[in-house]
Amino acid sequence: MKKISIDPITRLEGHGKIEIFLNEEGDVANTYFQVPELRGFERFSVGRLAEDMPVITNRICGVCPEAHHMASVKALDMLFGVEPPPAAKKIRELLYMAFFVTDHTTHFYALGGPDFIIGPEAPPSERNILGVIRKVGLDIGRQVIDCRARNHHVIEMLGGRGVHLAGGLPGGWSKAVSENERKEIEKVAKENIDFALFSLKIFDDLVLKNKQYLELVTSDVYLHKTYSMGTVDAQNRANFYDGVIRVVDPEGREFVRYPASDYMQHIAERVEPWTYLKFPYLKNVGWKGLVDGMDSGVYSATPLSRLNVSDSMATPLAQEHFERMFEAFGSKKIDGRYQPVHHRLATHWARLIELLYASEHMLELSQDPEITSPDVRRIPQGIAGVGIGSVEAPRGTLTHHYVSDERGVLTSVNLIVGTTNNYAPMSMSIKRAAERLISKGRLVEEGMLNKIEMAFRLYDPCLSCATHFLPGQMPLKVVIRNSSGEIVRTLQRD
Amino acid sequence: MKTVVIGLGNPILTDDGVGIRVSRMIRDLLAQQQTAGTSGDTIDIKEVYAGGIRLMDAMTGYDRACIVDAMVTGRFRPGEVSEFDPAELCGTRNIVCTHDTNLSTALELGRMLGLHLPSAIKIWGIEARDVTSFSEQLTDEIDCAVPVAARAVLSELQIDADVREAMP
Repeated sequence: MKKISIDPITRLEGHGKIEIFLNEEGDVANTYFQVPELRGFERFSVGRLAEDMPVITNRICGVCPEAHHMASVKALDMLFGVEPPPAAKKIRELLYMAFFVTDHTTHFYALGGPDFIIGPEAPPSERNILGVIRKVGLDIGRQVIDCRARNHHVIEMLGGRGVHLAGGLPGGWSKAVSENERKEIEKVAKENIDFALFSLKIFDDLVLKNKQYLELVTSDVYLHKTYSMGTVDAQNRANFYDGVIRVVDPEGREFVRYPASDYMQHIAERVEPWTYLKFPYLKNVGWKGLVDGMDSGVYSATPLSRLNVSDSMATPLAQEHFERMFEAFGSKKIDGRYQPVHHRLATHWARLIELLYASEHMLELSQDPEITSPDVRRIPQGIAGVGIGSVEAPRGTLTHHYVSDERGVLTSVNLIVGTTNNYAPMSMSIKRAAERLISKGRLVEEGMLNKIEMAFRLYDPCLSCATHFLPGQMPLKVVIRNSSGEIVRTLQRD
Repeated sequence: MKTVVIGLGNPILTDDGVGIRVSRMIRDLLAQQQTAGTSGDTIDIKEVYAGGIRLMDAMTGYDRACIVDAMVTGRFRPGEVSEFDPAELCGTRNIVCTHDTNLSTALELGRMLGLHLPSAIKIWGIEARDVTSFSEQLTDEIDCAVPVAARAVLSELQIDADVREAMP
């Protein structure tokens, strides 16, 4: 392969910009997926009062404010050395389940679903939520909108504010749940379960029973045998709000489990000259570049990887579907746990299983006698000075790390956001997709943008704070360069 | 007639917060004037942080919507205020939500499902300078554009208010 020198121009901030470098034979040598980094969060935060962080960090992003709010408030529990009462934890988790339901629903119907339900080859004008609804019926469209609305209402009711919730406090939650609210949430949760089962049925009927799509899901186009990361409870069941971080190796053996507060012993961040965003990797495996396999520290933190690290699901219906998915991929059990599935498009399936789990768990919490307890807050008595909080955001493990002085004024802040975890695997999937579309200098231009986009869309990357300059769903520009670095083709969505 | 004024953007991402700031200025002016309610007309002010279906949700139930957003086009001077119809809305920054869909698709979805959506939608875009650094402060020229955009929206609503009243 000819040595590629990266022109400084490739360091310019792009907006979902992808650079593809060809070798002398005209095959793909390398691909670079550039994500603009938002700057100065550390500087912005230092000097503020730590307790302001849940209402500041939830503004980082308009899409996943609930995840930031929860990771932040958990970091504050530790920073102030205070353990919230059980009811407060349950209220947080209840709200968080409602959030997962809205987020996963939106992703499936508006983003991921169109590729399967309408088809990857369909023109972009049809490959969107409108196309999905034309195909599955207006009634489903209403259900999607209703599902979002009723869960947003729950979030507002529990969180005190619709989008940028304000309920979280160090040591608990600011407001107890009344019996009337509880009843309403219970009803919403039941509707969510029906909706999740129904969504899985759509996936079953339209994807798994369609030979072409099933082949797409199970083919090796987007197969990467990486490590998997996710949060599990004491019984090694998937948990979105609390537990320990578990990492399994590409063959499914547990590599490590650690409390979120130990993340720095396990995760390091690789800096590459061509991008501002860092690549987190498993420190104790090491960085071998953007490659998969047992010796590469690249890991994934997605709905699929969360199921890969779990022995089982904590709710009965989700468990049935969990087993069904692993069986469908012919996954065998090792030490009582299914071997991981590495077919990345199965992430869409895993997301629906998580939707069902979130709905069922929401029902459990809404029926928990303790959920209406007025004991929702413990007042912090001191300042420990360091707080690390972590939750599973819909798009990967999210970690907030704060250090404060003795007054609780922040002196340092570090965040590892969900999407960043998956930067390396996303880049690998993009390369794989490009390799299938470019050979000996010939490009398959038909549907190229969408096929490349499918590679990262399955990770549900949340770059929404920084990537909306062009029309369309996801601004995307693909630049193809020959072995001398000259641009041979630029593709851009109109 | 029910009107909604929506400030769109991220309040901690420097100039991306300009839409939110304009909506807050309008809210303060209307609070002083207490114009709403005099003729059965209402004006609600909302802050929205992501586009797509979320933005469509915020407009549901209204007859008229005014949206203020930051934009990065490179075609205008930073701080310049421009008015758009939804048909040309690709110019502004947050209307498109990478997490779900763009506004025109979201609006079509809403209409397909029979939701009550505004028949009149106007969008004001303010050319931004910096939308990738964390800060609650707008850059200078963009800060100056806040009353200009607020006045443009108020004039669309045929409300005679002195924006200087709401300036700090």
